[in-house]
Amino acid sequence: MSVILNNPAAAAFAAQAGGAKPVRLGFVGIGGRGSYHLDCALGFEGVEVPALCEIQEDRLERASSWVEESGRPTPRTYGRGETDFERMCAEEDLDAVICCTSWKWHTPVCLAANRSDKHAVSEVPISLTLDEAWELVETCEKTGKWSTLALEQVLLESSGGMYLNLLHLIRAGMMGDIIHASGGYIHDLRRVKSPDGSEPWRMEHSIRRNGNLYPDHPMNRFIPHMDINHGDRFVSLVSMSARSGVLNEYAAATLGKDHPLASTEMAQGDYNATLIQSEKGKVVTLNFDTNTPHPRGLYRLQGTGGVFLDGRGVGESMIYLDGISPESHQWEPAAPYLEDHKHPVIRDYKPAPRKSMRGHGGGGRTVPLTWYLLIRDLREGNTPYFDVYDSVTSSAASPLSEISVANRSQLVEFPDFTRGKWETRQPFNVS
Amino acid sequence: MNKKLDRRTFIGVSGAGIAGAVAASAGRTTLAQQAANSNRPIRLGFVGIGGRGSYHLDIALGIEGVEVPAVCDVRPEALYNAKRWVEAAGQPTPRLYGKTDTDFERLCGEEDLDAIICSTSWKWHHPIGMAANLNDINCVNEVPLMQTIDEAWELVETFEKTGYWTTLGFKSPNSSLTNMIHHGLLGDIVHCEGGYVHDLRNVKFNPDEEPWRLQHSIDRNGNLYPDHPSCRMIPVMDVNHGDRFDYLVSMSSSAVMLNRYADMMYGEKHPYATAEMKQGDCNITLLRTVNGKMYTLNFDTNTPHPRGITRIQGTKGVLMSGRGVGTKIYIDGVSPESHQWEDAANYMQEYEHPLRKEYTPAPRREIRGHGGGQRGTPYSWHRLILALREGRVSDFDVYDSATSSAISPLTEESVAGKSKAVDFPDFTKGKWKERLPVEEAFYKTRQG
Repeated sequence: MSVILNNPAAAAFAAQAGGAKPVRLGFVGIGGRGSYHLDCALGFEGVEVPALCEIQEDRLERASSWVEESGRPTPRTYGRGETDFERMCAEEDLDAVICCTSWKWHTPVCLAANRSDKHAVSEVPISLTLDEAWELVETCEKTGKWSTLALEQVLLESSGGMYLNLLHLIRAGMMGDIIHASGGYIHDLRRVKSPDGSEPWRMEHSIRRNGNLYPDHPMNRFIPHMDINHGDRFVSLVSMSARSGVLNEYAAATLGKDHPLASTEMAQGDYNATLIQSEKGKVVTLNFDTNTPHPRGLYRLQGTGGVFLDGRGVGESMIYLDGISPESHQWEPAAPYLEDHKHPVIRDYKPAPRKSMRGHGGGGRTVPLTWYLLIRDLREGNTPYFDVYDSVTSSAASPLSEISVANRSQLVEFPDFTRGKWETRQPFNVS
Repeated sequence: MNKKLDRRTFIGVSGAGIAGAVAASAGRTTLAQQAANSNRPIRLGFVGIGGRGSYHLDIALGIEGVEVPAVCDVRPEALYNAKRWVEAAGQPTPRLYGKTDTDFERLCGEEDLDAIICSTSWKWHHPIGMAANLNDINCVNEVPLMQTIDEAWELVETFEKTGYWTTLGFKSPNSSLTNMIHHGLLGDIVHCEGGYVHDLRNVKFNPDEEPWRLQHSIDRNGNLYPDHPSCRMIPVMDVNHGDRFDYLVSMSSSAVMLNRYADMMYGEKHPYATAEMKQGDCNITLLRTVNGKMYTLNFDTNTPHPRGITRIQGTKGVLMSGRGVGTKIYIDGVSPESHQWEDAANYMQEYEHPLRKEYTPAPRREIRGHGGGQRGTPYSWHRLILALREGRVSDFDVYDSATSSAISPLTEESVAGKSKAVDFPDFTKGKWKERLPVEEAFYKTRQG
């Protein structure tokens, strides 16, 4: 076993898992993120990778060699055109497909998997349109096979599980009821989007679209911390974008004034802010800025009993708890509180070291918790913690914000993907 | 009234003078004017002498050449205190007004003053400004300037007709921040975030603080206190000075905190433990300018928290300050570490505004009231007296002041309309296109 837990239930599971039938995974898209995920999967005993799909031949060969190096049989490879993942889903016998393509293929790959009796785990975003989101939900409800963002890392892995510990602290009532959360994807990607950058296809989205194009990292915290789809739900949003210009300036500075990108009209505003209201009256401020120069953004959570601020980058994470913090209305370090309220999953997880470090996925040197939980859930037939409803809710903020921005920030209703089940679904938890 | 006409002629604020003052309201300072006006006493009347009024009166009494011939308050004890303070400063006993809620009208009608300093509760700010202006007296209000859009227009139009102004004249735009931004350190401004995030639960309930605030939480829902952040951001974004607010959307959370606070402090039977509170505990407003800048404006006086954070993002860099984070900056290609904050202190010092650099504050006589315990005369007061001496509109003028406070009623309209977009009135009626940015106006005047 590469993963050992020190509690009895987990030990029982580990014993059972050792002798269980192997988990069979297929990979679609093996660039930066795909390489990372494949590398994680190959670190597990009892995980087989019989099939790989990628349209770039060099990547396909390289990934294939990694599988062989791990001592596994040579995988079948699929790379005959952009939709060859369909053939893979039809021909292969897999438990799940791991999808790490560029954005537009995420839903098609997930649907192909579900319809061929396979689960699917997608990189963010899981869908680009509301129609895609509904199709994922309905396909899951019909087939029993799910598509999720279960490998999203922020909640479970960021700063040693800080945000999951925060969820545990919230559950203990330390912050009262949550009233407002503010966070976003504030990450200068000008270089990444450039023609010579690592993800040049992102530029096309900035040219054609205008809204919050990358809501999933913050949503991975908002949804659990605010019990969205688990006792509450998002009901509406308004979104506003600033003017655009920074990408043109960057292209002119780095590629020359005559480069087409120096003058291509960019639809995407350089800053976008979206306000989302929940049924129970909570409010989210969701920010998006991948164009201007800045250190990464903050995450702030306000409850009736206190407030939390992820101040990494400017210092430590801070907290103020009414009547508990020693100085009235003054921050104090959050770390001791998070330590006291360690989530059981974080507390009990004793990860094995990773055997190799490939791809784009943070420098954690041990088996990521997300991957551990995914393999466990596939073995046990569980639905992952961030399920299809949570996943499409997370990504739906994009098309909804685009509609709002295109209509002078008009209010857009947030679809209830759970169709009323949010009222009775248990509070968000990871176990 | 004859006395007033004479005074008006003496100051030289005639029709032509008004046009000039309106056109170049920011920072016109010539040595000749200063010399000509430096000895003229400035006569101030005070209306409302609570926490803020005490603070302002105390400062005024410490400035040489400032006279306080009249004070007004409906509470006899406040009026008596003010009288004593004026006398203690060696000035003649002031005339006292306070017979009724509207006795300020009599004060404005009878007194010969340069300006009224208005520190009453919110609803009186506009009526007092109007009473002053219609009696040839300028008026400096505590925030907010007024509470409705009609009131805002009335103050703007009264100014344009009479030449007498009502402003948030204690807000001075000449800061290191505006200077740094107008020197292009952060590039073009893309987005600002600020707010009034300040736990006022005690202030709203404590009879010795500002219990009248509570009624606003009961009756209204929006951003009820936009001026502190907006008086900083309006000059930063060149709003009314080359750009203007186009529209806003506003969203409020549910309201639970004030009921819970009343319950906790006074018991579940207390009326406020169950009284319906309209004001959401947290309100967020997004504003957009016609040139495409954005402004996220927060308001939360109900939940427990340390004070909020300010962030200004430009095309070349970003500045962030607030409790817990200090003052940090990142400038593309300049900051030593890629995409990492550095301390902003050196930059703030380097870009200290020339006017502030020159300013050596005279010591205050006493430290009273609510307004900070600094021992020198605040820069804002220095600028205000200078403007009055020179017959200028205050630095933060009628248009800027109306714009800042208009945010409140506009957010209320948006919140009531399910966060609908609400158009922002152009109080300058197109003059925003020609009005120079604050610092540009300043340097132009100096060179001229």
